[in-house]
Amino acid sequence: MKTKKVLCGILLITLISGLIIGCGKKDGKQSSGDDLAGTEITLTVWNEPNKNDELNMYLQAEKATGIKVNVNVIPESEYSSKLNQMVATKDDSADILIVWENDIRNFAETKGIIALDKYLENSSINQDDFIDAVAALTEGLGATYGLPWCAATEILYYNQDMFDAAGIPYPDNNWSYSDFLAAAEKLTKYNDDGTTAVYGFDLPNTQTWWAGIGGYGDKIYDPSTGRMVIGDGAVSFIEDCAEMVKKGIMPEPSSDTSDKFAAGKAAMSWMGSWNIGAYGDKLDFNWDIATIPTNKIKYNTLHTGFYTINANSKKQDAAWKVIEWLMGEKGQEINSKSSGNPSALKTIADKGAWKVESATTIDNWDAITDSLAAGVFGYTCLPSGVTNNAISLFNTALTGQITAREAVDEAMQYAAETIGYSLK
Amino acid sequence: MEPPFIKKAGLMRKGGPLMKEKGRKNRHLANNLTAYGFMLPWFIGFICFTAFPVIFMFFVSLTNRRLNGISQFIGFTNYKNIFASSTFRNSFKVTIFFTIVMMIVTAVWALLMAFLLNYKQRLNGIFQFFYFIPSVIPSVALAYAFRTMFGKDAGLFNALLSSISGSNVRINWLYNERTVYPVIFFITLFTYNTGQMMLIFRSGLNDVPVDLYEAADIDGAGFWTKFGRITLPMISPVILFNTVTGSISALNGSFALLYPLTGDTGDPNKMTQVLSLLIYNEAFSNYKVGYGCALSVILFLLACVFGIALFGISKKYVYYEN
Repeated sequence: MKTKKVLCGILLITLISGLIIGCGKKDGKQSSGDDLAGTEITLTVWNEPNKNDELNMYLQAEKATGIKVNVNVIPESEYSSKLNQMVATKDDSADILIVWENDIRNFAETKGIIALDKYLENSSINQDDFIDAVAALTEGLGATYGLPWCAATEILYYNQDMFDAAGIPYPDNNWSYSDFLAAAEKLTKYNDDGTTAVYGFDLPNTQTWWAGIGGYGDKIYDPSTGRMVIGDGAVSFIEDCAEMVKKGIMPEPSSDTSDKFAAGKAAMSWMGSWNIGAYGDKLDFNWDIATIPTNKIKYNTLHTGFYTINANSKKQDAAWKVIEWLMGEKGQEINSKSSGNPSALKTIADKGAWKVESATTIDNWDAITDSLAAGVFGYTCLPSGVTNNAISLFNTALTGQITAREAVDEAMQYAAETIGYSLK
Repeated sequence: MEPPFIKKAGLMRKGGPLMKEKGRKNRHLANNLTAYGFMLPWFIGFICFTAFPVIFMFFVSLTNRRLNGISQFIGFTNYKNIFASSTFRNSFKVTIFFTIVMMIVTAVWALLMAFLLNYKQRLNGIFQFFYFIPSVIPSVALAYAFRTMFGKDAGLFNALLSSISGSNVRINWLYNERTVYPVIFFITLFTYNTGQMMLIFRSGLNDVPVDLYEAADIDGAGFWTKFGRITLPMISPVILFNTVTGSISALNGSFALLYPLTGDTGDPNKMTQVLSLLIYNEAFSNYKVGYGCALSVILFLLACVFGIALFGISKKYVYYEN
């Protein structure tokens, strides 16, 4: 009996102590000024740093600033929602948040990130040097809350060996949409039983569906109302893709997640410019790039992430010092070399560090600059649930289960319900 | 100061009747407090991790809370929007269909496996081991493994069918409206819930008195008569237990299986977008936490309805020996 009481007492004391410790406030001091060297900060990002130390911009930032940079990689599929949760719970575990386009306004308005103006006043970063699309995206926030880490675009990748074998001239940045469709058909190879051995064109992915739709003239995203705007252009592009699937030129949507272009099973693919860095010299064939050939207007979606400072960070000065280095010439150069994405700062982008050295077969580097010029921040400003739902419907239309018009109407209806506006 | 009559009767003296009664009460109270003290960690855990989140969910469902924490009270607007949404109506229908079919398929399969294991044969333990092994694999890992096996161009099943048939088989198992449900229900046969059901059925089958079968044999009853008139009634409480847990597992646990297989959009054409997937989509892809909580309340009520319905049916069909 006495033993039970003693045990109970010990358990109770342990429990209460644990609760007090767990609920206690953390003691953190803001590091400042000259004592930043030796500080440790944490940066969140959705992709792994480059394995080559020379191209690991965070490691190089550490060496340059003396500030230890811990990189916290959050899977891309959960990145935005995880960051939103961190802001909601005033989490201070990360100092630098690399924030996506559709989140920066939201985080600024909820005071989850701080304005960088006080730091920019004494910095050499020239905000007038940013590409126009970036300036337009952050208009109306009242201050500068984030600095764009790059300006990635979407381009056409093509297998030169297959073009040579088929006797088709290589695409250039003025290739027409009809030339593209004809080439895709000619490049398709079939097995004896009629199934496709090599596809002329791989299925558009979650990014490049919008390039085709925007290329047909649909606005996709209206920044003044925050609405998704698709219509006849989307219907036409879906119908073109459905026709290609029917003829075996394009694979039908499936649960397979393989990269058919890299595997040599598709002659052409529309993908983000960051794949240049990933492919490098690893592919078994010669390949090059061109701008995405679209029907009515040149269109592709720009992608970036904004370096921001967590409002709850206790090391904001150290975080700024690292961001300042990453946005400097050296940081931007390493980022460009590693990823193949140009800097969002025009003068740095002009120096061409984004021409990935390992991608030795690429001649048409102008595809990147031309794509940047035509790029807009489109679908990336919409909630991912809305765009994923739309892609799912478009893919369903390719299998013939619904028509292209039904897919577009349903996508618009869902966007209206989710974002909160009426279609009437 | 004791009242005189108590002092005269010596009721409060040490060892006296009142002192004995007081001592008994004190010991009783001490015992109770000790017991509650030991249960306290569980209570605290239950309140923090179960009761509070459930109650909080009800309150959040009445707001337009976003994932970034911004929230405003909006009453029942979320519920009005839910019932007006065609996406929800589709998801509700898919959930009911999926739950009922999964419950039946897994229960029938588990009973069949339990029946086979109940036969006295050599290496029974090894058979049981192999029947149960897939159930210990986490649902997500299992789902990803099957997703690869059912792939269209590089999947194992298509490769097997190609080698058997001699032709190039490229069935789009998980993206074809005709094959997606059979594939998913096939995969549910390997989940933990089915393995658990099998073990519980086996235990139930072992408890059926052998003399009932002997008496039936004497009367000349065949296999199906014995199964329908003896086995099923005798294991009906176990069937009830398994169907209730199976339905709850289908309602709540389907997310871990379906998300890797078909994504949160429930491809193809939202045919597999059960409520748990829709909740995830709305809360974490569209950042509408308030709306997601309202959907969760509806899922909770649906689970209650299933439970009540099954217990209601059980009054007519379940046989309790006592």
